[in-house]
Parts: sequence; C-alpha cells; structure tokens
Amino acid sequence: MEWKPDWGLRGRMVLTMFLLFVLYIVFVAILSRYMGLFGIVLVMGLFSLGQFFFSDRLALYSMGARRVDAEEYPRLHAMVDRLCQQADLPKPDVAVADTKMPNAFAAGRSQKHSTVCVTEGLLRTLDEEELEGVMAHELAHVKNRDVMVMTIASFLSTLAFMVVRWGWLFGGGRNRQGGGGVVVAILVSLVVWIVSFLLVRALSRYREYAADRGAAAITGQPSALASALLKISGRMDDVPDRDLREQSEMNAFFVIPLRSGVVGRLFSTHPPTEKRVDRLRDLEGEMERR
Amino acid sequence: MGLFDTLRSVLGVRTDADATREADPEDLFGMSTAYLTMEADLGFAPVGAAALCFSSVDSTDFDATVDDVEEILRAGEAETGTTFYRHEDDHGYHWVVLEDDDPEDLVTSVHFAADTFVERGYGSRLLAAVFGFERARDGTRAYWLYSFRRGAYYPFVPTGGRERDNRLEFKLQSVLDGELDVEDDESYWYPLWPGTDGGHPWT
Repeated sequence: MEWKPDWGLRGRMVLTMFLLFVLYIVFVAILSRYMGLFGIVLVMGLFSLGQFFFSDRLALYSMGARRVDAEEYPRLHAMVDRLCQQADLPKPDVAVADTKMPNAFAAGRSQKHSTVCVTEGLLRTLDEEELEGVMAHELAHVKNRDVMVMTIASFLSTLAFMVVRWGWLFGGGRNRQGGGGVVVAILVSLVVWIVSFLLVRALSRYREYAADRGAAAITGQPSALASALLKISGRMDDVPDRDLREQSEMNAFFVIPLRSGVVGRLFSTHPPTEKRVDRLRDLEGEMERR
Repeated sequence: MGLFDTLRSVLGVRTDADATREADPEDLFGMSTAYLTMEADLGFAPVGAAALCFSSVDSTDFDATVDDVEEILRAGEAETGTTFYRHEDDHGYHWVVLEDDDPEDLVTSVHFAADTFVERGYGSRLLAAVFGFERARDGTRAYWLYSFRRGAYYPFVPTGGRERDNRLEFKLQSVLDGELDVEDDESYWYPLWPGTDGGHPWT
C-alpha cells in the first residue's frame, strides 16, 4: 500500500470550508446590523489570530497535557521518529496527558508546527504495535493537513455559540434598537451554530476514516490499529474466557451471552468504532490477499 | 426484528432462536478452502488433526449411533488413511479425534460424523467441530471452531494457561470472513481450553 493524497478528503475539506465561509459572510452581515461592523471584525480578527497560533496549546491545555522530551519517553520518541520518516513528515512535538482515559490527538496549524499527544492510559493499555497504529493515525491527520481545517471550522461554531451565550446574558435591552434585534441576532447565531456543527461533524467522521487509511499505509498493519480501537472501545473485553463446555452446562437449553441485559448493551455498542474496524479489516484482507 | 424481539434482546431473555442460523453440517465443507487460505495468506499449516466434540446421552440408541460412526470411520481408514480415536475430556464431553495429513480427508470425516449424529436426531448433542493449524515460524497454534449452537465459525488462539491472543483472532476473522460464515458477535467466541498446556482443545 502506498501513501496517496486523499482527494476525497481534500474535496470535502474545500467544500466544507466554502460552505462555512458563506455561512460566515451571512452571519457577519446580519450581526453587523445590530452590533456595528467594526466591533465584529475586530473581535473575529483577534479570535482567528489567537486560534491560529494557539490552537495546539489550547488543545494541550484542555487535556492537561505537557510536552515531553526524548529523555523522559525514549521509546515513544523513537517510535514517532520512525513513523515520521516513513510518512515523510517533519517531527512534531510529543506531549503526554496524565489521565487514565486511553486517548490520542494531533493539534497544530501546519505540518511543521504540530503536536501529537497521547494519554498515560493509552500507553498502559496498548502494546507496541497497537500504539504504533494509533500514532500513525495521528500523524496521518498531520499529513492530510486536516487538523487546521478542523480548527478553523470549529472556530465559527464556537463563535456563534458565544454570541448565543453572551446574547442571553447581556441582551437586556441595552442596545439602541431595543430587545428585538438581540433576539434576532441570537436566533441567527443559533442557526449558524447548528449548521456549522453539522458540517464539522460530517467532515470530522470522514477525516477519521482517511486517517485510518493513512495509518494503514504508514505502518502496513491495519490489524494493529483495528485491535487498538477494539481495546480502547472495550470490545476486546467481550471475547469470553469461560470455556464453551462450562458455558453449555450452565445453559443446557439455550445460549445467553454472559454480557447481556440493559447495561451491557448500552455500553458495548460503538457504531463508529464498528465501522472503522470493519474498514480496517477490509484493508487487512486486501493486503493479505495480494 | 420486531418490537417484541428487541425488548427481549435488551432484557437478555432471547433464546437459541436468535442464533445466527440453524447449524448445518454442510457448513463444514467451508473448511476445505479455508485450509488453503490459512496456509497461503497467513502461513498457518494444517496441524494434521481435527475433532468433533459432543455430549453423550444415556441411551442404547445413542450408543448404537456412536458405534455406527466408529464403524464407518474404521472402514474409511483403509481407503483414506484417516485414523481416529475416541476420548473423554475432564469436562465429561466426548471427542472423535481424526488424524490425517490431508485436510480434505479430515473435513470429509468430520462432516460424515456430524451428519450421522444429525440424521439420527442427535444434532442437539453436538457442541463444536475443531480444526487445528500451526504457524511454522514460531509454532503458534490457531483453531477454527464451528459452533453447532450458533451455526457459525469463530477463531481461537490459545497462548498457554487460560490466555488467548485476541489480536490474532481478529486478524484471522478479517482474512477468512466471507469465505467462512464467521460469528460476528465476539461475545460468543467461547474458548475450548486445552486440557494440558501445549495440548490441543481435544486433549
């Protein structure tokens, strides 16, 4: 499997950005009738600059993560070095978050300025090859340049959300047009927020699949990432270790899975994971049959 | 699935009725090509043995059925070279263990034995058919189990003690899915732990 530019992802990113841009223009146009154009442009300008330069720091901060050097985490760094060479990427910063939740993410504004972050829980849960799959997945995000697109895309919905919130807080008849204008502004923001949220979500799903394919191309082992996903989502725990013969004695007349009942069912379904694992299995099958 | 089924499934009171489908001895022939795929794509060679696991019934008719199975297998030995022996494990389950270097003959014999049980009305006593594989480069053993309760196959890779290699099992599933009717709900992948360390499930 070769690394190929993902045109499906690129097309979707461009389209999403275009739609968001249109939405943005409409948003500003309507808001400016009530708030004065200058103020809006100033606030948005500051925001976008801040987002652009501090997005990765914000992401790290919100996860409680810190950058770590090669002395502290030699194996993790060596792994990232290897994978970056394979993926033809400049080496990103490596960060670790001290939480039990197994998770990883990439942040940054470009291939040169990016950070990959893993949690302690992930390092503890996964074996070497599985961790490699997850790291390759994050690096594929960097390689596909979809981190920044997501940052910008989610920025608009954040902004609209803030207008909604502050509008409720400060919209008490202090503006010249009276209360009606504020209500309209809030309603518009609400619609903008919902639409942009949906756009971002659709793109977000697709970019995960794209990064999975990318990880498979970098490591050549779709099954490693698949089993990492299964571990993280708890599906590995579904594989029983009670012997079939004991199990059959217990239920002589019918077979009930041990993990049944309401709780098991609510917590053991991960449709997105299901789909991602299925696609990775298909990739694995393709590779094996070549 | 109707509303009633959904309710029953959420409450966990569904029975055998929702097994993947009725078990059918014809499914066992799927192993013929699976043997080739296992070796060509995954490097797992046949271990030269397969087995059928069943529970006994205390009746003359059932004993006669087992005798008939044995008799025909013995008759086939001269023709195919497939040897067999009977074995009772620590769980009180019975095994017909077949040994032959040719997987085709193993599949045929396992199918014949299972089919005879079903024909005589003892299909419900059949637990599983087990087909063994070994990877030459590291000696890893893997098994494909056919569950007669669920009418589906699933992979089993014991790694000593009561440990199994989930990752390899998922990999086997990904490669053989489509060729075999694989159980897609992993919570039914019940192990058949070998009785001795380093032994097969039928030991």
